[in-house]
Amino acid sequence: MKLTFKRGVHLSYANKNATKTSPIRDFVSDEVRLITSMHIGAPSKPIVKKGDKVLMGQVIAEPVGFLGIPVHASVSGEVTDVSMIPYLGEGNVECITIANDYEDKWTELTPLGSVESVDPALIVPAIKNAGICGMGGASFPTHVKLSIKPEQKCEAVLVNGAECETHLTCDHRLMLEQGEKIVGGLRAVMRALGSEKGIICVEDNKPDAIANLKRLALNAQGVTVQVLKTKYPQGGEKQLINAVLKRQVPFGKLPIDVGAVVVNVGTCAAIYDAVVYGKPLISRVTTVTGCVNKPSNLRVRIGTVVEDMIGACEGYSAEPGKIAFGGGMTGLCLPGTDLPMAKSTNGIVVYSVKDSKSIDEGPCIRCGKCVAACPIGLNPYLIKRAADADKLEEAKKLYVNDCILCGCCSYECPSRRWLTASFKIVKQKLAIQAKQNGGKG
Amino acid sequence: MTLRLSTSPHLRSPQSSTRLMLNVIIALLPSAAFGVYNYGYKALMLILVSMLSAVVSEYLWQRLTNRPVRIKDCSALVTGMILALCVTPEAPWWMLVVGSAFAIIVVKELFGGIGDNFINPALAARAMLLASWPMVMTRHIDIDGVSSATPLAEGAQSQFSYLDLLIGRIPGVIGETCKLAIIVGIVYLIVSRTVTWRIPVFTILSAFVMAWIVGLDPVYHVLSGGIIFAAAFMANDYTTSPMTRGAQMVYASGIGIITIIIRKWGAYPEGATYAVLFMNLLTPLLDRYIPHRVYGHSKREAKN
Amino acid sequence: MSKDNKLSKIFLNGVITENPTFRLVLGTCPTMAVTTSALNGLGMGAAATFVLIGSNTVISLLRKFIPDRVRIPAFIVVICTFVTMIQLIMQAYLPSLYAALGIFIPLIVVNCIILARAEAFASKNPVLDSAVDGLGMGVGFTLALTLIGAVRELLGNGSIFGLDILGSSYQPMLLAVLASGGFLTFGLMLGVFNAIMNKIRLKRIREEAR
Repeated sequence: MKLTFKRGVHLSYANKNATKTSPIRDFVSDEVRLITSMHIGAPSKPIVKKGDKVLMGQVIAEPVGFLGIPVHASVSGEVTDVSMIPYLGEGNVECITIANDYEDKWTELTPLGSVESVDPALIVPAIKNAGICGMGGASFPTHVKLSIKPEQKCEAVLVNGAECETHLTCDHRLMLEQGEKIVGGLRAVMRALGSEKGIICVEDNKPDAIANLKRLALNAQGVTVQVLKTKYPQGGEKQLINAVLKRQVPFGKLPIDVGAVVVNVGTCAAIYDAVVYGKPLISRVTTVTGCVNKPSNLRVRIGTVVEDMIGACEGYSAEPGKIAFGGGMTGLCLPGTDLPMAKSTNGIVVYSVKDSKSIDEGPCIRCGKCVAACPIGLNPYLIKRAADADKLEEAKKLYVNDCILCGCCSYECPSRRWLTASFKIVKQKLAIQAKQNGGKG
Repeated sequence: MTLRLSTSPHLRSPQSSTRLMLNVIIALLPSAAFGVYNYGYKALMLILVSMLSAVVSEYLWQRLTNRPVRIKDCSALVTGMILALCVTPEAPWWMLVVGSAFAIIVVKELFGGIGDNFINPALAARAMLLASWPMVMTRHIDIDGVSSATPLAEGAQSQFSYLDLLIGRIPGVIGETCKLAIIVGIVYLIVSRTVTWRIPVFTILSAFVMAWIVGLDPVYHVLSGGIIFAAAFMANDYTTSPMTRGAQMVYASGIGIITIIIRKWGAYPEGATYAVLFMNLLTPLLDRYIPHRVYGHSKREAKN
Repeated sequence: MSKDNKLSKIFLNGVITENPTFRLVLGTCPTMAVTTSALNGLGMGAAATFVLIGSNTVISLLRKFIPDRVRIPAFIVVICTFVTMIQLIMQAYLPSLYAALGIFIPLIVVNCIILARAEAFASKNPVLDSAVDGLGMGVGFTLALTLIGAVRELLGNGSIFGLDILGSSYQPMLLAVLASGGFLTFGLMLGVFNAIMNKIRLKRIREEAR
């Protein structure tokens, strides 16, 4: 039976066609720029300086704090610069630039062996040391997600292969080409958490991936493949849990509180590499698509600069108007192409000038399409009214803090209102307010 | 090369407000065509006069009050067309000018324009015309041009077969007689995702059940009068219908039930207009008291 | 400020600035109920004006003798007296108007304009001022009622004060003389009046700023 969650929107996925049949290809550039805050949490602290020679997989920045993870050199070569650069919404961050010597000489690795025989207690530390964070876009450190309290029990590990975002096909290709790594990584997570059930969740628009995983799951204990109806935002953590386990994560709680852990397929594959080969996270598959001459799924080293990746896709096919990290619904716009991709960058979409025109808001016609689309069950039109009037308290009472910024309401709005955008601002303002009130609220 | 920065989502649904309004006009076309076929050039003139008057009123009002002119969204055209389709072909042209001007200026623009009117403009205008010129508004002719009683008038019940009602071989208003044409319209609206199926289906279903409960012939009552037209084009009006699923069902059921109550016990032979107007007034309350459950919150919490 | 000037200001206050119908929105029950024709509106307005002047004068005269705690019953008794007088007068000399206004004549007793002026003005001001205030409020009320009545009569009957204006080809709009038409007309005129007042106010502010 195909499962799904309530409401949401049906998107057109024609924009996936450009890359969904093209196999993953490797791309290595002359230079990588590794920023130290690729994960949520305090930025890591650089331990190399200009002129140092580094080997591939060598730790170049050490974790700081509870949420910290290390950063590894993704190529071997010489550190040419350690400096602050402005990066997306995060202000200035420290960036380590390494010139590639193309020798690909690994640093000393410590493999743990087969996922079925390794001591479960060693798995989570190995994940932390490999610098793995959520690769679906949220970039939450994976070892924290997997460090559950003794009284908590993880009934099921869900592997998020929904890939409900538009344009992106990197997870799809990964499931098709490296399904065994995903299943292996899932087994490692299940063993680390002592969980009996592992469910790989895939939307029904990827039948080839489903067939491949189903075949592989036959040999893995407790692993099943769950087919989901194609609907956005199925890949949202809360939506996925709701669809598969029919449970809702209470507000302010974590998935583990309802007995579930959700891991992205890319993360699973990275965990497999970390456990079996001791390899840290130094590369990932990223979809580069839109107005490029050769849309592709590239396996790139972490820290590859966007411009090089577009070059690897043979340049722009039309004048670019907008470039974003991530798919069409949640992608984050780039101010320029000299920025590096990070561990959570699952796609780079180049929009043509025509598709990037600014959109004027019309008046709300109360059509209710936003209400019918909201996967959380909010009233976006009311929140927008409160937001426009800068009534933060009212917006809060309308549950704006539950908004997952999936973009469904903005997508559906026939009056082209900037619903999601204003909720984002309101949420930020409320967060600042809460901080000022002593962290409460 | 300059890159634009904008917040997500970067994609928008192809359905713009204008597109949705055009969909409604397309859905109304079969009914309008049938009206014109039945009553000839006069019906066509009434429809055009009404649409033109609605657009002109909106344009003039927005110019006069220095508001942005929004006639391009086609909502005034829809209002004018619906109004024309629910008056008798015997109505004089000036009545439609007055009616659509009333609908646009008094009912819609005075309350803030598109999206802010609290009752359906076309229906309010129809109720106004009915109260103002009852003799003209209730003068019906059959398809041969002979003045006669509508199927819901007293004593007329046995004159028409179900088939007559379905294909519109009955006296009545311009666009409401041929149920088949209206059903084609509803199906188009639902298939094109302009509206959801809930409101029309629940309106018709509840009218059917209610008619059966109070001892009327349910098939006859659903097929006669304006209940199907109201279900398709009036109850569905975006601005004045509820948004949450539960509220939509209660709202639509209310329309069906009240229509039958008015027909059975009321002073008017037909009640769909007033039923929709009445439920329009309850729309904000329904939305408020039958909300969607917010993910991760208990039901009781959501109501506060 | 001269005495005349002050009185004319009080008068104009009642007619325009604080017009009981359009600005204070008081006494809406008779406003809605009797304005089916201009004549009815005028008659109702005149009756209310008479009561207003009378009650304002008497209450102002007695303002120092009425104990505070029983002032409302005392006001009502005074108002009742005048209402009874006007009722009997109308019954004697204007029987058709009396019949048209019906229950709304005795209901003037509870018309909030009258009680409001007694409470807010007459009980605090000298006799002449109070009488002029009653006159001003009364005239304002009468004008508003006559205006609404004229519009409703014109639309609903094609005539004003019984004079045929729109000719025999006009098809009267029944709604205008029904209750719902009363609400609509009242609401729309309220809007128009306030829009005009706002325009004037803005103009004045601008002139003062200059």
